[in-house]
Amino acid sequence: MLSTRDLVAGYDERTVLDGLDLELPGDAFTVIVGPNACGKSTLLRTLARLLTPRRGAVLLDGTAIRDLPTREVARRLGVLPQSPLVPEGVTVADLVGRGRQPYQRWWRQWSESDSAAVDRAMALADVTGLADRPVDTLSGGQRQRVWIAMTLAQDTEALLLDEPTTFLDLAHQVEVLDLLHRLRVERGRTVVAVLHDLNQAARYADHLIAMRSGAVVAAGPPRQILTADLVRDVFGLDCVVVPCPVTGAPLVVPALTSPSLARPSGAAGLAGSAGPSGAAGLAGSAGPSGAAGPAGSTDAAGSVGPAPAGAPTPAPRPSAGPAVNSRTGSYPSKGI
Amino acid sequence: MTAPTVERPVRRSRPGVAALPGRALVRLGPVSVQVRRRSVLVAATLVVLLLAAGLLSLCLGTPYVALPDVLRALSGTGTPYDLVVLDLRLPRLVLAAVAGAAFGVAGTLIQSVARNPLASPDVVGVTQGAGLAATVALTTGAAAVLVAPAALVGGLVAAVLLFALGARHGLAAQRFVLAGVAVAFALRALTEVVMLTADPIDGMRAQIWLIGTLAGRGWTETLWIALTLVALLPVLAWAGWALNSTALDDDTARGIGLRPVARRIGLAGTGVVAAAMVTAQVGAVDFVALVAPQLARRLVRAERPPLVCAALLGALLLVLADLAGRRLFAPTQLPAGVLTAAIGGPYLIFLLVRGRRRSS
Repeated sequence: MLSTRDLVAGYDERTVLDGLDLELPGDAFTVIVGPNACGKSTLLRTLARLLTPRRGAVLLDGTAIRDLPTREVARRLGVLPQSPLVPEGVTVADLVGRGRQPYQRWWRQWSESDSAAVDRAMALADVTGLADRPVDTLSGGQRQRVWIAMTLAQDTEALLLDEPTTFLDLAHQVEVLDLLHRLRVERGRTVVAVLHDLNQAARYADHLIAMRSGAVVAAGPPRQILTADLVRDVFGLDCVVVPCPVTGAPLVVPALTSPSLARPSGAAGLAGSAGPSGAAGLAGSAGPSGAAGPAGSTDAAGSVGPAPAGAPTPAPRPSAGPAVNSRTGSYPSKGI
Repeated sequence: MTAPTVERPVRRSRPGVAALPGRALVRLGPVSVQVRRRSVLVAATLVVLLLAAGLLSLCLGTPYVALPDVLRALSGTGTPYDLVVLDLRLPRLVLAAVAGAAFGVAGTLIQSVARNPLASPDVVGVTQGAGLAATVALTTGAAAVLVAPAALVGGLVAAVLLFALGARHGLAAQRFVLAGVAVAFALRALTEVVMLTADPIDGMRAQIWLIGTLAGRGWTETLWIALTLVALLPVLAWAGWALNSTALDDDTARGIGLRPVARRIGLAGTGVVAAAMVTAQVGAVDFVALVAPQLARRLVRAERPPLVCAALLGALLLVLADLAGRRLFAPTQLPAGVLTAAIGGPYLIFLLVRGRRRSS
């Protein structure tokens, strides 16, 4: 539903996007990833008509977005900027109500449908219970849900979000991403988000767009395009891509950058927890990982203490489930 | 994994069209307007206080006129006090109320564009433009009737200068204020040059004009300010609504289908015209424009200054300031401009202290 044609955009003298042709699938969760300053936020801002392109156009269902009245665009496209300014003392319901702006006029400031949409949006984002609280007293995660509720009150088919999980702790990141996922799956909304975390992108995205210096390097379903080669290409980072133990989506694990980071106590943990499940092969394959042996044994002695060097005792760490164990076998063969 | 705190969704009963919390919906045919309940309360209180202050101001003075006589004079039944009440005190009282309201409106609009509680017509240079033009008119011996029109033109020229300098980057708050400060300083310097080179007597008259006083002014000035406000009324109705979005950042505002730059230009333009007109008529009674919006905002507990309440509070402040100026050191009259600061300042300090205590 959103696409760009020969898009050139940037700030002042700096051109960030130079001739970008892009197609964003409708009814999908699209995630844009890339290193810092690769132009992903610029792209999102241009898509959301927050930034006027120097050349080319953003098309919304085939019509150039700049030819549409901004009010009409606001009824079809919701936008959540990167770090919106929280107005002092505004209550949650009040802020969510601002999302009805494109449906209001100064002589027609409120109607039944506004009430209904605000109620709906607050319920969807799970902020109904906060309705009367001032937004500036909420936690980061709650605040982000309130902002999302505001864009939901706009009743748009599509939602564009610029790094909606930045500055949130992991639990709140998951919470926000789950909300976006629900919107896409249960409400059929098109969601486009810029994310920093590749693994979250792989987990939630239907369509992944990887960018580097203002150009799209790869686009497609994450399970097809997210490979170690792509990560090296885009981020310049050596990594291992394994299936995520929980979802099976690609999981990006940075390669070993320093031998001292590979602690045998960790290997012991793996071997140990694998022990009870009777996978002798695992212990074996972890054992002969040669070079790490002698260097690591002193480490192991230091941290574990009474454990005899070379024969690590099973570490009491049963946290890893069987799903993890069944896949850990692939780690030693990463060939770094 | 730690579960994030889950708030129990509370379904509040919402019969029919409910407005947002703390608001009431006023409907009149196809027109529906959202009003903060608290601002209705504050506005009603301010109207009562304004009436009381007005009556007090008609009573006090030399000679003292008792309230029944004031009421009789106002009802037009003819009393020995008609001259004092109707011809001497009433015009000045009405002027104070109308000018105060105009200052309140101008301050509200300018502050919300500048996103700065310290912004006022004085800070963005409009007052200095009017002041320079008035000083030139007063020191070159131009006819007295030309002083106010000259000041109006001066204020508007300063506003044009302000917009020309601040327009880049869409009249962003910082730039708007900086451009205003630059214009204000340049014009103030010019005013001083004109004043120092002029005849000392003329310089003195200009000085008094600059401080701002209601003495010797009345219906003509009131008429001009009132006409300006009435002419701006449709714009002000829009502004009351548009002000709602001024607390949002530009990206968010664009996201919900607003044009923040056009909005700012409209709001600032309206504020600057109101400020230029009122300053031209009564001089730089400035503190009202600075303090009335902030006091009103705190009283209403809104995130931005409320237009109507700020206007009412401006009117009340100026009426009280003029009354105090007349009576405090009688028979010496102090200009209202001096007294507004004396009344508004401590109250703002009180609110700041109270606000800090509550938030800590």
